[in-house]
Parts: sequence; structure tokens; C-alpha cells
Amino acid sequence: MTVATADRYAEMTSVVQMHQAVVWRYLRFLGCNTTEADDLTQETFLKLFRSDFEQRSPRETAAYLRTIARNGLLMARRAARENHLSIDLDAAEAVWSRAAAEDGLDGYLVALRECLEVAVSTRVREALDLHYRDGASRDEIAASLDLAVEGVKTMLRRARTALRDCVERKIGQ
Amino acid sequence: MSQSNSPEHDELDDRLMDQALREVLGGERPPDLSEKILAAAADRVMVAPRQKEPVMNKPKSLRRIAIAAVCTAMCIFLAMLITSAMVARYSFRLTEVFPRDPSPQTLPAPYYLRDGVDFFPSTAAPSPEGRGPGQAGDRYERVTENPFRLVKNQPLSTFSIDVDTASYANVRRFLLSDGRMPPPDAVRIEDLVNYFDYDYAGPKNNCPFAANIEVAACPWNEGHRLVRIGLKGREIENAERPASNLVFLLDVSGSMDSPDKLPLLVQAMKLLVAQLRETDRVAIVVYASSEGVVLPSTPGSEPGRILAALDSLHAGGSTAGGAGIDLAYRLAQENFIRGGANRVILCTDGDFNVGVTSEAALERMVEDRAKSGVFLSVLGFGRGNLNDAMMERISNKGNGNYAYIDGLTEARKVLVQQAGGTLVTIAKDVKLQVEFNPSQVAAYRLIGYENRILAAEDFNDDKKDAGEIGAGHTVTAYYELIPPGAERGLPDVDPLRYQTNEQPRHDAGTHRELLTLKIRYKDPESASSERLEFTAMDEGKSFDRASLDFRFAAAVASFGMLLRDSQNNGTATYDSVLEIASSAKGQDLHGYRSEFLEMIRRAKALAGR
Repeated sequence: MTVATADRYAEMTSVVQMHQAVVWRYLRFLGCNTTEADDLTQETFLKLFRSDFEQRSPRETAAYLRTIARNGLLMARRAARENHLSIDLDAAEAVWSRAAAEDGLDGYLVALRECLEVAVSTRVREALDLHYRDGASRDEIAASLDLAVEGVKTMLRRARTALRDCVERKIGQ
Repeated sequence: MSQSNSPEHDELDDRLMDQALREVLGGERPPDLSEKILAAAADRVMVAPRQKEPVMNKPKSLRRIAIAAVCTAMCIFLAMLITSAMVARYSFRLTEVFPRDPSPQTLPAPYYLRDGVDFFPSTAAPSPEGRGPGQAGDRYERVTENPFRLVKNQPLSTFSIDVDTASYANVRRFLLSDGRMPPPDAVRIEDLVNYFDYDYAGPKNNCPFAANIEVAACPWNEGHRLVRIGLKGREIENAERPASNLVFLLDVSGSMDSPDKLPLLVQAMKLLVAQLRETDRVAIVVYASSEGVVLPSTPGSEPGRILAALDSLHAGGSTAGGAGIDLAYRLAQENFIRGGANRVILCTDGDFNVGVTSEAALERMVEDRAKSGVFLSVLGFGRGNLNDAMMERISNKGNGNYAYIDGLTEARKVLVQQAGGTLVTIAKDVKLQVEFNPSQVAAYRLIGYENRILAAEDFNDDKKDAGEIGAGHTVTAYYELIPPGAERGLPDVDPLRYQTNEQPRHDAGTHRELLTLKIRYKDPESASSERLEFTAMDEGKSFDRASLDFRFAAAVASFGMLLRDSQNNGTATYDSVLEIASSAKGQDLHGYRSEFLEMIRRAKALAGR
């Protein structure tokens, strides 16, 4: 390995380490399951390294990676004869850019952890834990919290809204 | 987000929140695909691009045209990629300089291409307490909790400081990743408390650290008092830290062939390489069936060489650490930087002592080399083979610290955020001795530090080894105190037959003092110690009026006692600990404290109470 090659490899390492988790999260946001997100994340970086990519700023690199990932997803869906995505890609890009363009969602997640402590009641927190942590169904949550199933749905929806408001305030969106 | 009122945006905001909740509460984390990507990409570094991707910042229409134009070529290319990647799985060579054994048996699958959705191997994880007699398993030393001591019998409490955090990361992995309670002996309360940074005042003069003492009511025992002793080491900016001469001693034995071991280790080291300056030097020694130098001492200005050496590593063979450590120390001595940080960093899953080298001989060797100025730190990885007890012991003997790396986040904390503390020792052999005033305290109990207790006379004996403090480190210790009159029921000793016990001195100047804290330490290159002394009084502060850090750290200590099923838990429950920790979380820049709250919730759910 020549020094120039090693330097190029060092640059690639740094790009992968900085962005791979973000690309994976972005693909999950676009609707990929975990397997698909794993595959497409790897393909996204391989495509990046085959291109005449040059680093300008982390923000530009992240945007470029999103473009490759998005195109990769479209191609994968077409290959599977699923010619449409259940998501408006332009709107998705706008929402993602606002929430995660600066730090790859890290700030959003930190804010969310804090909001979980202050923005929801103990009972709502219990419902969230049952749903997201324990994978409980609405029926199970309803039985556990002595609520109607429809009430659980409403409770989770309101909780997400309250958390969204809180996160927005914290990250200044 | 809600700035937009369109239903599409609302739905997408909701989807984003749903995803974030899955990650924060459900533990769905992005897998670490770095090794796979880089392994597949490495072969292509030397190959000219076959097909241009759209160039950054070109107009969108041009990008679309370009994508459409290469669409057909891409399909062909993907087929070629898959074919060549399959070839790479069996014949991957990063470089001729560091050739690999091409045998597929020695190439752990996770290094290369996809081997399933789950990054971890599907084989069942071994029991944390071992697999049975004669088989490997995590090994923890029994921890016997410090009991209450009557001040009239033992007015002095002496111990060595400890800045290790390994136990916290290990406990976190048990609770959050494995979904099970840690074995009680895996819980070292001082590691848990010292995992967090506290906002203690730093030293103002030439002294390497400052002491902060705070006293308030004990939250788990009404009527008891709690004393917190907090040390804060002098901060050193990365640009100002002395040059480092680091020799990494890497375990590449067969037991390291797991994604949470060698691949994680390589990634962790890459993070450190990014921190190196031109004046720093790094060498890499590996050990398994035989030891060898993978990278001679190389300046930090050549990161490419260091990274290439890291990527040449693969696991295989049985562990024989003794010869490797000898070689590592020799390299460190040959490249010794006077006035710099000279350190061997051992990275292993802990099955370190297979072969002819006895544990006692290793400890003596490490202790001896520390006297020559080369310190030893230990980074532990993985599960199933973790010799926690030994790793802690040899890092203590080697004037270093011991951290457990359970993921890249922890690697970043230890090797990037706290690089100064990990690499630069500002004082060594730091001992604390507390003398309690019998007119204010009937009995005391040191919480944690069980394997750091020293005899009272060791305090003034400069030949007795003790712990080190790194740049910017904070060290926290709690004492639970029983005021006079409330000590009934504690075991006492009979009156002496040939001499009388000394009576308390009734001195108006000292009568109201609660305790005197004495600290001894040595400069890193000195053989004789300096002495500091502080006194503290109890102003009767309630727990609620104590500082945020006091309350948060007390919650951490109490959590550790619950995990250990301590007989001194008092009235503490997971709920009460959660309440205190939540209310005292304060600023949480890196999210560590929020994560701790998750650990409490998980422990509560697992314990069923």
C-alpha cells in the first residue's frame, strides 16, 4: 500500500465512521427494514468511494450520501418491481434536513431523552416503555394500563406530539 | 417538523419521532458496518472509478440525467461488485506489506461482507459467570462490602484512589444490551460513581488536583449522614498534553474473533489515531500463539501507516501474553520520551495468562516497569472470556487505568473525550486517609473501593503503591456516617486488658470538625510524596439541599448497592433511585446521565420490583 493509497484509505475510514450510522438511520426513516438498511448503507459507501468524491464539509458529504442512498433505494425497489415508495421523498428530505442535517440526529436523540423525563407523565411513559421497549401490542398495553384499545392509540399519538414539541423547543427548530 | 402544517410533513415528523423512540427506548441502534464497508472498499482504493457517480453540488437535473445514464451500467456493476466481493471474502489482501493467512478459517466473517442482519454471530453467548469447570467464562473477584467501623476503635480510614470505569460499561452492557442483571461481583460501586464527570472546582495553584468535600443527609438511611469527597485533576488541553509514546499490545488470539472484540478494538484505535499529533508515537505489538511487532514506533504524522497496520490484524491462535508484554515494554523503553506520557496499552478480552507466565510474575513485571516510567493501561473487550479481576489488578500495578469498551460510544469517551485522562498521568500513588472526629461520628462506612483499602501505616509509606489520577479526571468517594448515639447494634470489641483506649480530645478549635482528609501523592516522575490536608464540618444540610452532583452521584452509589443486593441498602428502591437521579440529572451534554436513567428502569423491570 503506497502512502497516497493509505491516506485515501484513512480519509475513507473517517467518512465511514462519521456517516454510516446516519445513513442507516436515514434509510430506516425512508421506510427500509433493518436488513435493507444494512445492505443499502454498505452499497451507498461503496458507490461513494467509486465516485470522484471529494470532501468539502461534513454537511455536504451527508447530503451527497443521502442522495446516493435515496437513489439506491429507488433502484432496489424498481428491481423488486415495486415502482413506488410510500413516502414523498422531497418532503422527507425537508423533514430530515431540519432535524438531522447538523449532527446526524444525535442532538435530536439527546433532546428526546431529556424530554422523556419532563414532557410525559409516568403513566404515559409506562405506555411508551411497553410499546417501544417491550414490543407490547395495543391490546396488551390496554390490558396492562386498564384502558380501552382506542385510548392507547390516542395516548401514544398525543405522547409523540408532546415529545415532538418538546424536542423542537430544545433543538431550536 | 411542526413548522410545516402539511399533512405529509406531520406524518413524516411522526415517523421520525417513532424511529427515535425505537432507538431511545427500544434499543434499535444503527449496526456498526464500518469494518464491512472498509474491507469491501479497500480493494477498490487502487482501482480507477469504473463509472462516475454524480458529482457533489451539480444541479439536480444533471444528477438525474447522470443517474439515468449509468442506471444500466450500475446493474452490471453491482453484479461485478457482488462477484468480486465474494472473491474478497476468501482472498482479501489489504497490502503485501502485512500479508494475511488466506485460509477462510482464520478470516472472521464479520470483517468482510454481509453475514446476516445481525452483526453479532448467532452462536449462543456463554454465561457471564462461565461455562463450567475447566472452561472459559467471565471471571470476577468476590467483593466483600466494607462494614461500618466504630470510630472509637478505628478512627482512620485509608484507601487508594481508583479512576477505573470498566465496571460501569460492563454493567450497562448486561442491562441494556444483554437484558439481564449483572452478577453482583461485576458491580464495583466506585467504577459506577466515577463513570460520570462532576462539576468540581479544579486546582488553583501548582497542585495537580483539588479536593471538594460536601456533607448532607443520607437518602437511604434516615438519621445517617453522607460525606462526599471529590477530587478534580488539573485539565490539560489535547494540544498542550505532553508527547505520547504509546505501545499498543493487542490480543489477536482466537478468542478475539468476535465482532465485539477485535473489530471493535480496531475501530477504537482508529479513533485514537485521529487524536495523535506529530510529536506522538505509536507502535503495535500483537500476541497470540507467538508475539510480533506489527508496527514499529511510528510518528502520529503518518496515520496512513498506522491505519494500514490496524487493518492487517486478524484473530487466530492461543493467548500467550507474557512474551508479548515483554516485547511491548522493550519497544516503549527504546522510544522513551523524557517528560512525555510513556504507556503500554493492553487490549484484550482478558484470557491473558495462558502459558508459562504466572499471574504473580506478570504483576511483578508490570510493577517493576511502572517504576521506570512506562505505565500500563488496560482496555477490556467482549464477553465470555473476560478476566475482569486480573485486568483490574495488573492495570493497578502498572500505574494505569482499566476501561471496558462495550461499543464505539464508550471507545470515543475513553480515547477521545477523555484522552487526556487516559493518556496523561498528573499524579501517582494517590492515597487518602480520613480521620473521623469521635465527638461528631460514631461509625463510618466507605462505599465501594473494597479492593483499594490500605492499612493506616501505608499512608506514610512511600513504597506502598496506590492509584493514579489523569488529567481532568474526577474521583469521588462516599462515606456513610452514623452520628453518636445511633450506633447501637454495631459489633464492638472488648476493653483492652493491658492498656486503656485513648479518650477524645476536647479542643474547642477542633470539636465541631467532622473529619480531616489527608492526601498523599507523588509527581509522575518523583519517588517521594507530597501531603495535603483538609477539614470538613457538618452544617446539617438536608439531602434535598445538596448540590446536583452530590445527589446524582449518591443515586449512582445507591443503584450499585441495589445491584449488589447490599445489606446496607436501607430504604432505597429502584424507584427512589430513579427519582433522585432524574431530579439531579442537571446538564447532560453527552446523554450519559439519561442513559443511566434507562439502566435503572431496565434493572427495575428485570428485578421485578
